[in-house]
Amino acid sequence: MANMKIKASARGGVVKCKVMMKHDMLTYDQAKAKGKEANFITHITAKAGGKVVLDMSTSQFLSKNPLIKFDFSTEGLKKGDKLEMTWTDLSGKTVTEDKEIKGLK
Amino acid sequence: MERRKFLGLGLTAAAVLPAVLNAKDFRAEKPDTWTAKKVQPAIEALYGKITPVEEGVTVQAPKVASNGGSVPVKIKSDIPAKTVAVFQDANPEATVAVFDLSEGGIIDYSIQIKMKASGTITAIVEGKDGKFYLGKQSLEVALGGCEG
Repeated sequence: MANMKIKASARGGVVKCKVMMKHDMLTYDQAKAKGKEANFITHITAKAGGKVVLDMSTSQFLSKNPLIKFDFSTEGLKKGDKLEMTWTDLSGKTVTEDKEIKGLK
Repeated sequence: MERRKFLGLGLTAAAVLPAVLNAKDFRAEKPDTWTAKKVQPAIEALYGKITPVEEGVTVQAPKVASNGGSVPVKIKSDIPAKTVAVFQDANPEATVAVFDLSEGGIIDYSIQIKMKASGTITAIVEGKDGKFYLGKQSLEVALGGCEG
């Protein structure tokens, strides 16, 4: 299931990443209005080459289907390395997807 | 009965997993931060009593956001930092996200957040030198993004 759209490309020593996660991100208020259970992404982790490159705890106020962009240094990465994204939501669901980082030498 | 047992199993498995995966879970460590209603108490819950310096942190957001459901916010800083926290004062609770920086991490994040009304986005950077730096940006929201 394609849950995430991941784009990662290296240029000039920096890997630029763009990740779109498919998630409803229902806040407590919205959930109440809809009569559903609140559910939102609470933690996002990104790994590349065995190293954690992004680690964020998030609240309900990220937008629906949140898009995040971040950079990290290419140090220690080699051709064919992948960017591995993991998110966890309030219900405890965890999704991991990876994508090869483009432009690595 | 069988089904109930099965569900219970699933729950425990889910509860154990994130602890292993995450380097640092601020939601578990500082639960008060996520329920704080205002920016100031949220900052205090996360970092304790601090007096941040207002420099070195750039928060970029549109002056007028047409859709409060997804306001693009960019946070940039050159300060060698340990953590970065993002707050706003328009929603029922103040904290949006806390980043934990790894070695060689670059502070150049773009995220999209919900804003119920016009307000101010505050970013706090905890430097490796133990100091705190602050950046903020006020914006107007034309259409609030928190109602269903």
